[in-house]
Amino acid sequence: MTKPRVAIFDFACCEGCQLQIVNLEEDILKLIDVVDVVEWREAMSEQSHEYDIAIIEGSITREEDEHRLEIIRSRAKILIALGACAVIGGVNKMKNNFDFNEVRQCVYGKDGQMQHLNTERTKAVDEVVQVDFKIPGCPINGAEFAQIIRSLLVGKKPFVPDYPVCVECKAKETICRYEYNQICLGPITRAGCGAPCPSAGWRCFGCRGMAENPNVDAAQEVMTLYGLTVDDLKQKMVLFNSK
Amino acid sequence: MSVHTVTKEQFKSFVSALIASDRRVVGVQAKGDRFAFDDLKSAQDLRLDYDVTILPPKKYVLPQQENLLTFQVNGQSQSVCHQQKTVLIGVHPYDMAAINQMDMLFSQGEYDVHYMNRRKQITVIACDVARPSPNVFASSMNTATIDHGYDMLVTNIGSSYVVEVATDKGKELLSLMNGARDASQNDLGARKAVWDKNEGWLNQHKLDCKPSFLPKLLEKSYQHPVWEEKARLCYSCGSCNQVCPTCYCFDVQDEVNWDLKTGCRYRAWDGCLLQNFATVAGDHNFRKKRADRFRHRLYRKGKYVPAKIDGQIACVGCGRCITACTAKIANPVEVYNELMKRTEIG
Repeated sequence: MTKPRVAIFDFACCEGCQLQIVNLEEDILKLIDVVDVVEWREAMSEQSHEYDIAIIEGSITREEDEHRLEIIRSRAKILIALGACAVIGGVNKMKNNFDFNEVRQCVYGKDGQMQHLNTERTKAVDEVVQVDFKIPGCPINGAEFAQIIRSLLVGKKPFVPDYPVCVECKAKETICRYEYNQICLGPITRAGCGAPCPSAGWRCFGCRGMAENPNVDAAQEVMTLYGLTVDDLKQKMVLFNSK
Repeated sequence: MSVHTVTKEQFKSFVSALIASDRRVVGVQAKGDRFAFDDLKSAQDLRLDYDVTILPPKKYVLPQQENLLTFQVNGQSQSVCHQQKTVLIGVHPYDMAAINQMDMLFSQGEYDVHYMNRRKQITVIACDVARPSPNVFASSMNTATIDHGYDMLVTNIGSSYVVEVATDKGKELLSLMNGARDASQNDLGARKAVWDKNEGWLNQHKLDCKPSFLPKLLEKSYQHPVWEEKARLCYSCGSCNQVCPTCYCFDVQDEVNWDLKTGCRYRAWDGCLLQNFATVAGDHNFRKKRADRFRHRLYRKGKYVPAKIDGQIACVGCGRCITACTAKIANPVEVYNELMKRTEIG
């Protein structure tokens, strides 16, 4: 069997999800045993226009990036969105809440109006091209990435949970943040991470995006039970779940 | 079989001896400001004065995730079974009742070799409840005390423990318990007093009917407005299922190894409140609405499962779902009482 050719590309992101792939350590040797990596800027110098699987990290924030992404899509048989930025737009979407001129000014100061710093509304990859599989998280969970890749290689539909993080908190016997009247995005956020943030005493930040069919209508009444408001909830959602 | 009395120091030595043996020893311990079953490293850490654990001891008979078999792609498979002698210390009567139910469910019909093998390796040292948890209603469900299922039952009678040995497995452990004497009439009287008290006061929520009435009540309640009223706020997070000692549904997944030739099949806890619990081939979901799923759980507890296990109600009144539910809608007593109020029973 010829090994599928894989290319990894990055757009607007911190490249932390690619780093998670590098962090697979010994498993990365097993990975390159079963796939032929033909382009991966972060880890090698070679480039290629011929690949079967394209893995996209990062969100799309400029017109020229949309164009580049469309070309990648046209060359790939399978396109995978990798990490929060690619899957849901991630932290880059916070920008969408502001006036873009202000954003440029704030980030780049007097250089903000330079042509190459042009910026547009942040989009997730699937707002630009068709995405075949999504690997959520900020950063991605390396074990989940590996499991999804192996599933695809044997032609099996990968398992990515569509239920909320609460399932994993309960399984780990992590006490719910709401029991301490603290806000947590777990009840509306997609699981699969293993709930590391609540088990470390934090809230869920919502980095994996929404669970399937989240009950947004319940927020008003449920927040009241804990002396919280819908605004408190929305404030916490800005980080990863801006529109 | 036999009933003994030991001092608390003697019992502690017994636990130390168990830990020193070749068995895996699990006991109730503090976890933050709550309690949980975990591997016991020292007899010092055992907390028989606990109110309720975050998860039930279910996780030792039906773990959150367990491998069922290893396979070769397009080839053979080999069943994986658990073989480790384990002692569970501190199982409350309501949790014992739940394990008794699961023992019936997993051995009837399609005999579940994974569950049963694991179960056979486990010796249960139950203990009577020392104080009510914030949401317990075991007294309402007739599970505040229990008379079978355990191998050993420990009751705190103040100055000492009364230890009942109920099975051969329990008797085997008795040899590690130095200083045990036969329980006196006084000790047995003191134990009876604990039982009488627990049968009344483990009742933070009071069910307005006998539990045995629930199947009949539910027969008339399928179209009741309460399902929609409550489920409106449901997050479909499955927390009520996860923490329930009688929820035993699981999902099965296959994972392939890096050689792409071998892999393993595992099962993991599932929950009927989750959006896609009932999604089958072709992406058809036969319980798409929150209210349908919400109703299903309470029908499982009060009607469907009882029909499989001689009428035993599959809610044991531990109250964990009440605590775990973020939207505060999961309380079975509230729902059943609401049905009692608004359902005509002919």
